[in-house]
Amino acid sequence: MRISGWIVGLLVVAGLLASVSCTSRSSGIEIKTADGRELKIKAEEVLRINITSEPPTLDWNKATDTTSSHVIDNIMEGLVQYNLADKELAPIPALATEWKASEKARVWTFKLRNDVKWTDGVAFQGQQVIDGWRRLLSKETASEYAYFLFAVKNAKAFNEGKVPWEQVGVKLEGDGGLRVELEKPMGYFPNLLTHTSTFPIRKDLIEKYGDSKWTEAGNMVTLGAYKLAVWQHDKEILLEANESYFGGVPPTKYVHAQMIVEQATAINLFDAGKLDAVDGIPSTELKTQRARKQYRSIGVLQLYYYGMNVKKAPTDNVHVRRALAQAIDRQKLVKLLDGGEIPMTGWVPSGMFGYFADVGLEFNLEKAKADLAKAGYGEGGKPLPKIELHFNTNENHQRIAEAVQAQLKENLGINVELKNEEWKTYLAKVKTDPPSLFRFGWLADYPDPDNFMNLMTSYSENNRTRWGDPRYDRLIEQAAGETDRDKRREIYRQANQIMLTEGVPVIPVLTSVAHLLVADRVEGFPVNAMRKFQYKAVRVK
Amino acid sequence: MKSGWLVFLFKRVLEAITTLFVIATLTFLLLRILPGGPFDSEKALPEEIKASIEARYGLDKPVSQQYVDYLTGLVQGDWGESYKYLGRSVTDIILETLPVSAELGIYSLLLALVIGIPLGVIAAAKHNSFFDTAAMLVAISGVALPSFVVGPILVMFFSFGIPFAFLHGSLPPALWDGWEYMILPVLTLGIRPAAIYARMTRGTVLEAIKQDYVRTARAKGVSERVVLFRHVLRNSLIPVLTITGPLVAGLLSGSFIIEVIFAIPGIGKHLVSSVSNRDYPLVLGLTLLYSSLLVISNLIVDIFYSIVDPRIRMEK
Repeated sequence: MRISGWIVGLLVVAGLLASVSCTSRSSGIEIKTADGRELKIKAEEVLRINITSEPPTLDWNKATDTTSSHVIDNIMEGLVQYNLADKELAPIPALATEWKASEKARVWTFKLRNDVKWTDGVAFQGQQVIDGWRRLLSKETASEYAYFLFAVKNAKAFNEGKVPWEQVGVKLEGDGGLRVELEKPMGYFPNLLTHTSTFPIRKDLIEKYGDSKWTEAGNMVTLGAYKLAVWQHDKEILLEANESYFGGVPPTKYVHAQMIVEQATAINLFDAGKLDAVDGIPSTELKTQRARKQYRSIGVLQLYYYGMNVKKAPTDNVHVRRALAQAIDRQKLVKLLDGGEIPMTGWVPSGMFGYFADVGLEFNLEKAKADLAKAGYGEGGKPLPKIELHFNTNENHQRIAEAVQAQLKENLGINVELKNEEWKTYLAKVKTDPPSLFRFGWLADYPDPDNFMNLMTSYSENNRTRWGDPRYDRLIEQAAGETDRDKRREIYRQANQIMLTEGVPVIPVLTSVAHLLVADRVEGFPVNAMRKFQYKAVRVK
Repeated sequence: MKSGWLVFLFKRVLEAITTLFVIATLTFLLLRILPGGPFDSEKALPEEIKASIEARYGLDKPVSQQYVDYLTGLVQGDWGESYKYLGRSVTDIILETLPVSAELGIYSLLLALVIGIPLGVIAAAKHNSFFDTAAMLVAISGVALPSFVVGPILVMFFSFGIPFAFLHGSLPPALWDGWEYMILPVLTLGIRPAAIYARMTRGTVLEAIKQDYVRTARAKGVSERVVLFRHVLRNSLIPVLTITGPLVAGLLSGSFIIEVIFAIPGIGKHLVSSVSNRDYPLVLGLTLLYSSLLVISNLIVDIFYSIVDPRIRMEK
C-alpha cells in the first residue's frame, strides 16, 4: 500500500511536469515594450541572442566595453563602418558617403548623407556629429574614451580645459560636409570613426531626459537598423527593426538579448531551443561542441603576450629577454589549448593589415642557449635566478603559464615561479611595479595596426615594460601619417624588428580565436575578426 | 510588562544601528585598502582622463572627506551611483534585483521549512528505523552537495531527460520567465536549508522526546501526533529558529551560484561582481543591505524567542 502510494505520487509529479513542458515549449516571446505595447512575437520574427551581462551603459560617448558595443552597434551608426566582407576590414561609408585627405592626411573632409532620419523623425545633421565629439571631449562627461579624438587639433587641450571649443579642429563645411583638422598627419583617421564613442548625438534629448536617463527604452532615439524597445535591467533587451533605417529595413523584425553570464548555461539554453546563438564555449566543452554543425570559429584581432620589465633583473639584460623569447615554443602552447589559436612572433595579429608571419624571434633552442650564455648565465656561467611569472587568475592563463614554466625549465633550466592574482589587484601590480615576466593582452579598438604598434611607444600608458626606443617612436609616428599602404607596411616591418629582435620587451604568444554556436534556422550571422555583432543582414527561418 | 518590551526593542534597535555603522565604516576602509581602483582596466587611461573621471565621482578628495560625504549621503538616503553601471543609482539596482532574489529566497525557505521540519520530526519519531536512516542520508547529502553540482544535475534530469528520457524538456534549463522557470532554482537553493532543518529538528526533537512532560502527556493518553507536533515541536524550535535568522538573510539577498547557473536577474551576482569591479558605492550598498537583513532577521528571531520562551526576555 505504501509503495503504491509513492508510485502514484511520482506519476502525478511526472504528469505535472509533462503538462508544463507542453505549455513552455513555445519559442515565441511575449513582452511589454517601454511605450506600453504588448507584443506577441513569433519565433520566425526574432533572433534570440546572449549578451552575457547587463550593458554598463548604452551612452555611446561613455561606453567602453564589448557588451555595450554589442547593443550600440545595432541601434547606431557612425560616419564610417568596416567592410566586414573585406579580409583586412577596410573602412566603407556609413553616415558619410565619401571622404578625402589633404595636406598629407592632416586635414580630412567628410561628405555626409542627407537622407537619414532618427527614430523620432528628426533629420540627421553634421552638427550632431560635432555635438557628439564635443560631449566626448568635455571634461564634465568624464568619458574614458575621450582620448580617441585626441588626434584632432586642440582636442586634448580642450579636454584639459586649456582652450575653448571653438579652437578644436572640427567644423561644418559647405553643403553637408565636415572638415576635420588634425594635430599631425594620420592616414588611418577614418578608421577611428568606426568606433561607437565618435557617433553623432542628440543634444536636445540629453537635455530633455538628463545625462543618465536618455538611454532608457522609451527615451532613447537612434538612427541604426534597430531601435531600443525594451531594456529590463539585468534581464533582457528587445530591439525592434527601425522602419526608417537609411540602409533598408532589416529582414529580422526583432532581436531579443538575454543576459546570461555562464557559458554552460547559454549552451543549455541553445540546446533547449531558447537561444539562437552562443558566443563563447568553455575550453572543457570545446572538443564536444566543435563536432557540431552549428559550430563556428574565427581568429579575432586580439593579441596574447608576455611583457618583461626591462629595468628589473634579470630581464634588464636584453640577452636574457632574447633567450626567454626563443625558448618558448608557441606551437606547443597552441596545441595545448586546442582552440585553433594562431602562434605569433610579430606584434600585429593575423587577419589585420600589418601582420607579418616572419618578424620577431622564433622558437630556437640553440640561439636561446647562446643568448643566455652571452648574458653570463646557463651552461658555463652562473645559474639564472628564479623568475616570477605573473598573470591574472584565469583557467586558460594558468594552463599557458604552467606550460611556459615547464618549457623554460626543460629548455634552459630556468626555474619559474607562477604567481596569479585577482584582476584589479594584478592591474595595480603591473602598473606600479611591473614583474620581470607578466601576461597581458590587447583587443583591437579598430582594425588598424597603429592600434597595436602605438602601445609600445615610450609615451604610451599601455607600455608597461619600461622599454622605449626613440627610433621606434619615430617610425610609429611616420607610419601614422603615411597614406601609401605599401610604404606604411614596410615602416611597420622595421618597427617590429626594432622592438621584437633588438629591444625584446615583449614576447608575442598567440592570436585568440572566438568560438560560437549558431542555430540552423539563422542565416547570415555575423562572424568576423572584430567581433562586431551587427544583425541588420540576419534572417531567421 | 509593556515597558519591558519597549526597553528590549529599544536596546536591540540601538545595537543594530551601531552594528551597521561599524560595518559601513569597516567596508569603506577595506575597499580603500584593496589594491586596484574602479577605473583600472586592461586599456590604461591617460592620466588627465583618469583625473577627470575621479573628479566626477569625488575620488580626488582626501579619503577622510570621501568618508564624511559617504556617511552624509547614507543618512540622507543617497547610496550613490554605481561606477560600473553608469547612471544607475545603487538604490535603483537594489530595487530592480532584490525582489527577484527575494522571491527565489522565500520559495526556497518555504520549501525548506515544509520539507525539513516534518522530515526531522518524523525521523526522530521513528528513531533508528529505515525511514530515519534514509531521511538522514538524504539530509547529509543535501548539506554536503554544493549547489553548483545539484543545479546542473537537476537540469540534466528535467531539461535534457538524462537518464530518464520521459522527463526531457519538462522544465526549462534556465531563465526567469514564469513559475515553471522557478522550480529547478528553488529546488537547488532549498535543498540545503531543508537538509539543515531536518537534521537540526531531528536532534532537538530527540532531545525533547525524552523529557518528563512528554512521558506525562503520553501517560495521559494524548495521541502521538498531538504529542509530537504540539508538545515536543514547540519546545524543539528554539535552536531551529536560531539558524533561521542568518538563513533568511542569506536566502533573500540572493545566491551568486544559483543566479549564475540559472541566469536569474537577481542581486546575488552583484554581491560578487561589484567587488571585482571595485564598484565602491555598490559594494557598500549591498554590504549594508545584507547586514541590515541579517540584523533585522536576527531581531525578529529574538522576538520570536521571547514568544516561544518568555524566560529569554526576562534574562535579558
